[in-house]
Amino acid sequence: MSSRSSKRSAGTRTLQATACALLLTALLAQRGEAAGAPPALYTPAQAQQGHAVFERHCAVCHGRHLEGGVGPALTGGKFASVKAGFTVQQIFEFLSVDMPADAPGSLTARQYLELMAFLLQQNGYPAGKTTLTARIASGSTVALVYR
Amino acid sequence: MTIIHAPHPRRRLWLGIALAATLAPVAASAGAGYPAVTSARLAKAATDNGWLMFRRDYAGNSYAPFRQINTRNVAGLTLAWSYRIGMKQGFESSPIVNGRYLFVTTPLDHLIAFDAVTGKVLWTYAKNLADTGLKTVCCDVVNRGVALYGDNVYMATLDNYVVALNARTGKVVWQKQLEPADVGYAMTLAPLALKGMVIVGTSGGEYGARDFVEALDARTGRELWRTYSTPAPGQPGGNTWPKGMYKTGGGSTWLTGTYDASTNTLLWGVGNPGPWLATLRPGKNLYTDSVEALNPATGRRKWYYQYTPHDSWDYDGVNTPVITSLTYHGKRYQAIIHADRNGWLYAINLRTHKLIYAVRFAHATSVAGFKDGLPYTNNALRPTLTRQVFTCPSFLGGKNWWPVSVDPRTHMVYVPTIHTCMTMKGAPSFYKAGLPYLGETFKVVHDPLDHNWGALQAFDIDTGTRVWDHESKLPWDAGAMSTAGGLVFSGTVNGHLLAFDARTGRVLWRSPTLASGIIAPPVTYRVGDRQYVAILAGYGGGVPIWGGQMVKAVAHVPRGGELYVFSLK
Repeated sequence: MSSRSSKRSAGTRTLQATACALLLTALLAQRGEAAGAPPALYTPAQAQQGHAVFERHCAVCHGRHLEGGVGPALTGGKFASVKAGFTVQQIFEFLSVDMPADAPGSLTARQYLELMAFLLQQNGYPAGKTTLTARIASGSTVALVYR
Repeated sequence: MTIIHAPHPRRRLWLGIALAATLAPVAASAGAGYPAVTSARLAKAATDNGWLMFRRDYAGNSYAPFRQINTRNVAGLTLAWSYRIGMKQGFESSPIVNGRYLFVTTPLDHLIAFDAVTGKVLWTYAKNLADTGLKTVCCDVVNRGVALYGDNVYMATLDNYVVALNARTGKVVWQKQLEPADVGYAMTLAPLALKGMVIVGTSGGEYGARDFVEALDARTGRELWRTYSTPAPGQPGGNTWPKGMYKTGGGSTWLTGTYDASTNTLLWGVGNPGPWLATLRPGKNLYTDSVEALNPATGRRKWYYQYTPHDSWDYDGVNTPVITSLTYHGKRYQAIIHADRNGWLYAINLRTHKLIYAVRFAHATSVAGFKDGLPYTNNALRPTLTRQVFTCPSFLGGKNWWPVSVDPRTHMVYVPTIHTCMTMKGAPSFYKAGLPYLGETFKVVHDPLDHNWGALQAFDIDTGTRVWDHESKLPWDAGAMSTAGGLVFSGTVNGHLLAFDARTGRVLWRSPTLASGIIAPPVTYRVGDRQYVAILAGYGGGVPIWGGQMVKAVAHVPRGGELYVFSLK
């Protein structure tokens, strides 16, 4: 009796583990991520342009290397932690509406996307062939976690 | 990590032999003894030789009865000592002085104890913020100073700790975190020591925090009471919020309150509601933008007066509610004098809690006037998702946190002022812990009626009329302090501490150019037979971040903190 029970438990555990793995895969796929491989959401040119926009409009508060100053650091585990639970959509929507602080919403739509690309790059997300668009950024549930 | 640098070379350059002369009158060093700070001394802090709390006394007058430095001799004021601290962020701390101990806090929550006579560093402390992202700190990583009680010194920190340290040694006695860091709350204010308690408030009105005032046992750090600014359903005022929105409703309490002993009432200013866009939260949104009167034993709210109902312009009501007496239309009152962010100077009857008068001290259009003693707003100047408005003052206020001073001899209040208006429009918003929660876009611009960015103004508190106005091309974002010597002290963005004739506004003394601009309030104290005036220079704070067109005007200001102490030769 106890032996059968033990076998059944082992089988149940295997099924549960498989189900969990499938669920995790599905979740990651939904978020555009494969385990250990962050998605490429922007092009190298966007990040390069974003760097220039950042230096002109953002570095005065956040530091030239995003290390923080009077405003918070925008790279690293203290900014984009698992615990913070930020998504690309949340950061992009806040950024494009309320920054820079002295003139919120004053940059062009393209510049905000370039800034978002730069932030992704500086938090360990790779560049790729896909251009980051407003539709992608404002709908992205990809977690922004420093890597 | 230490912030202490070698004494600035200019210190030696300026002082030379003069420094030795200033040391002579007081034989004992600071290490010789630390006078205990009792409740009795705090109750009489107005006449103490030191400067024992944020704005000197429980009434918050920022007035000292010292007259050694006065209108006749202030031109001879000279540097006693200075200390270069460094750090490029804003210095907003009031130096706090007990005996020969002088305490200042710096950006990023460092605390330095000095010998108040020699400038010798006695000890330093730096709060470990290594695990904090400082993501929910709106307006520079500042700290406004300490409270003293018994043998301890108390500070509140950006990661929401209250820390008690031994005043002689700097050793931590206890520390307690009130809320986690980086999810909405931060703390920047100087705590208030009262009746064996340490009372603090929180920042977070821009991040969807539910802010509060909290009292801790000064000996142990145990929580005694907490009063939230935004009431839950079923509590008084709970029906002034749409369902659930009190949980992210702000009502920050980020500036030290005052205490009225005659009615045993703690008075505390409450900040803006969140999100900023008022259409998202129909109702009066109590107790935001108000002064709230609390029972200090329990934290229970006795009464309130709301300066800006249903605010959509970020008009925090945190500015110090100064307790004073005044005579208006022949009648004597115990009153609160309060210069609000919304551009109005309020006098409120402490006994009846009703308005005595309100006058504009800045260009004010959002709050349009008063009816039956209560403010009303211009609804055409309320932003919506589709309507951009132009209104005055800007969200930075007719004045921001910079403390006023009330002089009981001149019956005047001295008001640091900025002349700004703004465009403002609603914007999409969502609540996410750790991110701002505003719902508006904005731009701070020049006040079309005044081409200067700032002023220091004097108002007769008995009549509410302006007596003098010292205009400034640059914003005036430093606190004020007055003395029985007939003087008002305040600092400028371009790095001068000024002494004004309190009655006329004439500038009687101007310090040499200091290392940086001034945003902190000055203090004065006596050791032995000598009076000192102390001020922190170190530009930063909210104006250079959120100031719109004003940012360019202050972009040239050199950065870096330095403490200066002046006295007569």
